[in-house]
Amino acid sequence: MLVIPIAKATKKLRERFGASLEPRDDRGSLLLEGTVPSWDAKIEAGWAAARFGYHGVVNDLMVPGVCDEALEQPPLRDGALEGAYFDVAIVGGGVIGAALARELARWELSVLVLEKEYDLAVHTSGRNDGMIHDGFAASPGTKKAAYNVRGNRLWEPLCRELGIEFKRPGSLVIFRGRTSAIAYPLMVARAKENAVDGWEYWSRARLRAEEPNVHPDQHGAFFLPSAGVLSPYKATIALAENAAANGVRFSFDTCLLSMGVEGGRVASLRTNRGEFRAGVVVNAAGNWADVVAGMAGDRFFSLHQRCGTELILDINTGATQRHIMSMPSLLQVRSKTKGGGLVLTPEGNVLAGPTARERPGREDYSTSAAELRELERHLKINTKLSLSQVISYFAGVRPCSYEEDFIIEKSRRVANLVHAAGIQSPGLASAPAIAADLAAMVVDIAAGFKAVRLRARWMPHRGTKPELRRLPLEERAQAIARDGSYGRIVCRCEEVSEGEVRDSLRTLLPVYSLDAVKRRTRAGMGRCHGAFCTPRVMEIIASETGMEPCAVSKKGPGSYLCAGKTKEHKAQAAEARS
Amino acid sequence: MTADLTMDVVVLGGGPAGLAAASGARAAGASTLVVEREERLGGILKQCVHDGFGLLRFKERLSGPEYALREAARAMAAGAQMLLEAFVTRAERGADGRFSLDCVSREGVRRVKAKALVLATGCRERTDRQAFIHGDRPAGIFTAGLAQYLVNVQGLLPGKRAVILGSGDIGLIMARRLVLEGVEVEGVYEIKGEPSGLTRNVHQCLENYGIALSLCSTVSEVRGRRRVEGVTIARTDARQRMVAGSEQAIACDTLILSVGLIPENELALSLGVPLDSATKGPRLDQNMHTLVDGVFACGNAVQVSDLADYVSESGEIAGRAAAAFALGPLRERVLVPLKAGPGLLYAVPQFVDAASPTPVVTYFRSNSSLLEGARVTIRGSACGAILSRAYLALRPPEMERLVVPERDYTGESSIFVELEREEREAIHG
Repeated sequence: MLVIPIAKATKKLRERFGASLEPRDDRGSLLLEGTVPSWDAKIEAGWAAARFGYHGVVNDLMVPGVCDEALEQPPLRDGALEGAYFDVAIVGGGVIGAALARELARWELSVLVLEKEYDLAVHTSGRNDGMIHDGFAASPGTKKAAYNVRGNRLWEPLCRELGIEFKRPGSLVIFRGRTSAIAYPLMVARAKENAVDGWEYWSRARLRAEEPNVHPDQHGAFFLPSAGVLSPYKATIALAENAAANGVRFSFDTCLLSMGVEGGRVASLRTNRGEFRAGVVVNAAGNWADVVAGMAGDRFFSLHQRCGTELILDINTGATQRHIMSMPSLLQVRSKTKGGGLVLTPEGNVLAGPTARERPGREDYSTSAAELRELERHLKINTKLSLSQVISYFAGVRPCSYEEDFIIEKSRRVANLVHAAGIQSPGLASAPAIAADLAAMVVDIAAGFKAVRLRARWMPHRGTKPELRRLPLEERAQAIARDGSYGRIVCRCEEVSEGEVRDSLRTLLPVYSLDAVKRRTRAGMGRCHGAFCTPRVMEIIASETGMEPCAVSKKGPGSYLCAGKTKEHKAQAAEARS
Repeated sequence: MTADLTMDVVVLGGGPAGLAAASGARAAGASTLVVEREERLGGILKQCVHDGFGLLRFKERLSGPEYALREAARAMAAGAQMLLEAFVTRAERGADGRFSLDCVSREGVRRVKAKALVLATGCRERTDRQAFIHGDRPAGIFTAGLAQYLVNVQGLLPGKRAVILGSGDIGLIMARRLVLEGVEVEGVYEIKGEPSGLTRNVHQCLENYGIALSLCSTVSEVRGRRRVEGVTIARTDARQRMVAGSEQAIACDTLILSVGLIPENELALSLGVPLDSATKGPRLDQNMHTLVDGVFACGNAVQVSDLADYVSESGEIAGRAAAAFALGPLRERVLVPLKAGPGLLYAVPQFVDAASPTPVVTYFRSNSSLLEGARVTIRGSACGAILSRAYLALRPPEMERLVVPERDYTGESSIFVELEREEREAIHG
C-alpha cells in the first residue's frame, strides 16, 4: 500500500477533525496527538488515518472527560516466577494464547502462559457467540478472510482431539425484500474470492421447508454450509488443559507490569509474581495488546474497543431452528460488523446478537436497555422466539486495530517479540490457523538460541470426563455405579451432577470459583441462573479445597459471594452498637 | 441400572403440593411414590423459618419447616414411598398408556412406571436478567430465595448493606430477616404503584422494622466490577417506564431481587401438556387434570400461590383424582371452559369437567387493586348466574378462592368468572 506523506495526511486529517490534530510519523507508524471533541471523532480519525498506508495507527487523541484506563492488577503478590527462565512466554490466556501454547507444546520448548485473571477465557474469548464463521463476511484480501477460512477447516478435527463439541449447522443470510437477484451474484463473487467452503442459493420455498419458523417476509437465502459453532470458553480451556498435559505452564492471577529491553531484545518480564526471563515473548494480550507492545517499546498500533451485547434464550429454543440465521438490512453494508443474527449454541440455546458499539472501556461489560431493544429485531427472524424466552444477556469487547484487521507478525523493532493483536471477529474461528503461524514464527526465533526439536511424546488428545446428561442411560448407570456423586444432580436446569462439578475441579488447571465451574460444567448457566445450584456448588468447591463455603468467590479475587457467617456478623454488629 | 418400579401414581416434587398429593392418592388407595430432587422433603418451606403457615389447613400458626414436617408425616403415615435426591431426566408415555420416567440418583438410574403422574414441581424465581437489569455483573446479586437459603440453611451472610428490588413476599420476608441478622437494609423498591406482596407482610416485615418501601421506583443500573458497589434507583411512571433525570445512586454491596416467580413446567412441556399463557402453568380441570389424560398438576407449578395452604389443597385434589384415574375405568371428560372476564389476571381451573362429581374450587386474581369494592359473579352461558360474591377490596397479590355450587354443567358451552367494580355503599346496602 502506498504511504501518503505525513504533510498530506496531516492536511487531510485536520480538514476533517480540526486544526488541533498533530499527526506524526513515528518510525513508520502514524501517531495521532491532539484533542477531539468526542469518542466517536477519535475513532473516526483513527479509521481515516488507517487509510494512509502506514504500518499502524497509534491514536493518542484526547477526548475531554475520558481518562486513560489503567490496568487493574490482581491483588496477589508472591515470588512464584522470580528468577525463572522460559524459552517462550505467552502474554494472555485467551483462545489465541491457549491455542498457541498447545501448538508450541509439540516442540521441546519450555513455555509459560501469563494470565492476569483467575481463569482462562475471561474476556473476549469467553464473551462471544461461539460461531466458527464460514469466512464469507470478511473483506477479501484481509488477514481476517484468509485465517477465517483456514481456521474453520481446522476446528472440527481439533475439537475431536480436545473432546469438545463442534457442530456445523451452516449459516443462512436471508434476503429481505426483492434484493436477492442483485445481491446473489455479488455474494457468490465474494465467497469465491475468500475461498469459502461452499455456498448455495435457497429459494423462498426451500427456506420455508428447511426453516418452517422463519420470518414470513423472506425472499430466499444465501446458505453457507461451513459455518459452525462451539463453546468458546470450553474450547479455550480444553486447548489450555491439553497444552498443560504436554508440559506448558500456566500462571493465573499474573499480570505483566513491564518488560526490560536490552540490545533490541526483551530481556526480562516483571510481574506481580516476580521477574523472569524468556527467550521469545508472544503478545496475545487481547484488549491490552497495544499496552503490552508499548512495554517493549514497540507501540506501533492502538486498539479501540467495540462492545457487543448478546441475548441468551432458553435451551428449549434450539429446537425451533436448525441453522444460524441473519437477515441483514441494506443499511448495514458499510458497517464494520456482520450485523448479527441468531446463532445456536452446541447445547441448544439460541443467541441473538451481537450489537456493535464503539465505547471506551477495555473491560467494560455493562449492558443497557437500548442495546437490548436493538437486539429484539433479530428475534423476529424466527417467529417462535420472544423476549420472554431470554434467560440472560452478556457483553463482550472486540479488540480492534484501526485497519480493522488482525496484526499477526514478528515485531519490526524487538527481535524476540511476536504480536497477535487486534483479534476481533472472526478471531475465534481463525484461532487454530493463527496459532499455527505464530508457532512457526516462535520456533524460527527460538532456533536462533537453541536447537528446537519436536517432542517425542506429544499427546494431542485431551482426556475428558463424562458429561452425564449426554450419556445413554446404560452408560450413565455404569458411571453412577462407579461413583455415586454422578447420580446427585446439583444444577437442575442443565442437569449437572455433583461428580461433574468435582471433576471440573480436579483437572490440571483447576479454578475454584463459581463462574469457572459454570464455564466448565454449565452448572448455573440455565434458566434459573444459579438460584438453586449456587449454594451446592459453593459447598462442593469448599469440600474439594478445604476452604470455607463463604470464602468461595464468583469470579476470582474481590468477587466474594458472602460477607461471612450470620452468627459472627450479628455478634460484631451488636458489639459495634454497644 | 436398578430394577424397574411400577406404581399407580408417581408425584414429582416433595414440597407442600406433592406431599399433599401423595396423601390424597394414598387415601384413595393408590400405590404412590414421591420423587424429590433434594435430600429432604418439604420443598421451599424448608428455608421459610418465619411463621404464618397452616392457618387454614392445620388451624395453627406454623413455621415453614413445621408445616413441611406435618405434610411429610401425613404422606408417610399414609404409606407413600419416597425417593429422595432423585432427578427425573426424562418422562414419556409408552405404547401401553403407562408413563415411564428415568430417575437418576446416587443409587443409579431407575425406570419408574406409573399409571398417573402428578406434577408438583413448584416454581423458580425471576432473575435480574429476566427483570432486564443493566450495568455491571458483579457478585452480590441474589434472588430472594437464594439469599434465604444462604441465611437460613447455610448460615451465610449475603452482604452487609442491601437494597431489595421488588416487594414480592419473599423479598419482604428477607428484608426483615436480613435486619434481624444485622444487615443494613437500605430499602425496598417496587416498580409498580403498589406492593406485590401480601398486605400483612408489608406491615409485619417492613413497617414493624422501620424499613422504607419506595413505590414507583426500580433499579436502573448496578455498579461494581467484582462485587456490587452500588445501584442506581430511578423513579417509574404509571407504565413502569423509568423517568429520565430521576436517577439516584445508592451505595450497597448486595442487591436482592423479589421480582416474580415462574411455574416450572419443563417436564409438563416434554409430555405435551398445554400451558396457560396467563398462569404459565398447565391448563386443567377441577380435578387438577391437565389436557393430557393421566397427567395431573398442583401447587405453584399450576399458579403462583400466596398461601402454602392453597398449594396443599390443590395437591390433595390432584392426588385423589390421579388415584381415581389410575385405579378406575377410563372415564370420558366433558370439559366446559371456565373463562376469566375483563379485570381478572386469570382463573384456575381453566375447565370444569361436567362429568365429574368433584366440586369446583376456583382461584382468581384481579389485575389491579380495587379498593372501593368489587363483585365477582360466576355465570354459565346457559344457566346464568351461579354464584355472586361482594368483596370489600381485591388486590392482585391476594389470591381469591370460591367454591362453585355443585350442579349439572353439561349443558353449558362456557362458564365465566366476571368482575364488576362496586360502590362501597352497595356492599353495605
